[in-house]
Amino acid sequence: MRALCWEGVGKLAVRDVPDPKIRAEGDLIVRVRASSVCGSDLHLINGYLPAMREGDILGHEFMGEVVEVGPGVRQHRVGDRVVVGSVVACGGCWYCRTEQYSLCDNSNPQPVFTEKLWGHSPAGILGYSHAAGGYAGSHAEYIRVPFGDVGAFGVPEGVPDDSVVFASDAMPTGWMAADFCGLTGGEVVAVWGAGGVGQMAARSAQLLGAERVIMIDRFPDRLATAAERVGVETINYAETDVLEALRELTGGRGPDACIEAVGMESHDVGPTYAYDRVKQSARLQTDRPTSVRQAIMACRKGGTVSIVGVYAGLIDKFPLGAAMNKALVLRMGQMHAQRYIPMLLDRLAAGEIDPGYLATHPIPLEQGARGYELFEKKQDGCLRSVLHP
Amino acid sequence: MTNNGTRWALLGVGTATAVGVGRVVARRRRRHQPDRQDGWYVVRRAVTVDRPRDAVIGFWTDRERLDRALGEWATLDQLDERRWRCVARDPSGGGTEWRAEITVDEPGALRWRVEDTSTPQEGRIELTDAPQGRGTEIRAELRYRSGPVRRLFGLVGGDEPDLALRDTLRRVKALVECGQVIDTRSDPSGRSPAQERATDRMREKLMTGGRA
Repeated sequence: MRALCWEGVGKLAVRDVPDPKIRAEGDLIVRVRASSVCGSDLHLINGYLPAMREGDILGHEFMGEVVEVGPGVRQHRVGDRVVVGSVVACGGCWYCRTEQYSLCDNSNPQPVFTEKLWGHSPAGILGYSHAAGGYAGSHAEYIRVPFGDVGAFGVPEGVPDDSVVFASDAMPTGWMAADFCGLTGGEVVAVWGAGGVGQMAARSAQLLGAERVIMIDRFPDRLATAAERVGVETINYAETDVLEALRELTGGRGPDACIEAVGMESHDVGPTYAYDRVKQSARLQTDRPTSVRQAIMACRKGGTVSIVGVYAGLIDKFPLGAAMNKALVLRMGQMHAQRYIPMLLDRLAAGEIDPGYLATHPIPLEQGARGYELFEKKQDGCLRSVLHP
Repeated sequence: MTNNGTRWALLGVGTATAVGVGRVVARRRRRHQPDRQDGWYVVRRAVTVDRPRDAVIGFWTDRERLDRALGEWATLDQLDERRWRCVARDPSGGGTEWRAEITVDEPGALRWRVEDTSTPQEGRIELTDAPQGRGTEIRAELRYRSGPVRRLFGLVGGDEPDLALRDTLRRVKALVECGQVIDTRSDPSGRSPAQERATDRMREKLMTGGRA
């Protein structure tokens, strides 16, 4: 089959690779119909998480059709149209049984890297490097889905592939970000990052009761899309002082909750950003925490900062004093896909959320490298490239 | 005079630094060394399985399920009422075998002994209830004989008994909780056979052991 492989830092190519096979009773083989690029892939492609090997197949946000089932699979049959959570979960450990699927004890077969780096190993993630288990990813014609009964979900009829694909990762990540905020109704929520996850977080916050959502980014087209599609207020940080603007927009209080949907390669203007870039290039810090710093500084006293942008290692100049003295609640994590996907599919079918507009660039798998280029450089108004094998 | 003074000062700073660094290294080494008792290295490792104690014991006594779960990597033969023989193989297909005699002392407590190996070892396992109803703690104590040189080579080669113990506990937990030990070694990739072999060697390192 054909698959988009990582060939070294910044290099991608479509290659002929062997077809996947059923390896365990609970496995599914899915023929991929739509597989989205994701901002977190950029950290892998650009070598910030040094656990990629030449030839690894990328991709973790996808949907498709079941073409083969293992003998232990009960929920799915050949021909089913399914969306698959990008986080692999066994369904049987304490974390899975308490719906904290991204912390699954048994789904990362190569736990040593993350145990050394983070103290414990969280769940494996499809197509997300050898730190996350070394699974082959979804930018391919076929993919093996382990624990198929736990990780794959039947898709409601009538919802197009390019909408439902985001129920795999962007929607549950955005929902979890809003869920972390503990909204009870009427809050003001600020969201850093107007990409797919940020926009889904904004919509989720509205559905969970936020009265106003303010979105921060520097790309006018993304901000305009978010304002039009989600109905958010916007701040362009390249033109405006974010902290000042947020204080003003919230009557001096600051947002009740701040969602960070940017991650370790966040961008800013000014000397601090230049300093962060130099440190990161010299590997004196692995991550650039620009937007986390802003979120902590902006958040109202006693508010919540919710981090769903991906961070991998160590950061510098973390305003712990601000977080401590303002009594902030910090919540963060990889999303618990399997907890949220069924509910999100219902909302998708009911039209409460429609992420289809995120798929600005549907393209063939063969042009996968171009898809990432468009996405990374935000060319041609690209929000997400969705690959179609 | 000044030159001499500078020389002595540099020597003093150098010595103090060397002693300081040496102490840190020695302390770190000591912290990571297994305990020694009567010529044996002793390590204790534990894993929590999210099942009641009876279910964990039940897993070992349900022969059919156990054989299916152990599948490619081990066989168990019952010698008499209390004694079993376990032969475990290197799951990556290498030729190494690990033969142990296992004695069940009581439900939830067993001992094992491995003698036909360069590093003789014995150990015992006890099951205790985890707090908050979080299942069962499998607590293992492993004792093995090994000289410092052999231990060093074992660590480099990745077949140190402590690493094997940790790997085994992780496998047992996975088998009881979800019925399989997940493996991504055969997942497709765009690698050449030589690159795949190199990647498999790296995978082995990332699969075995864990937190030190």
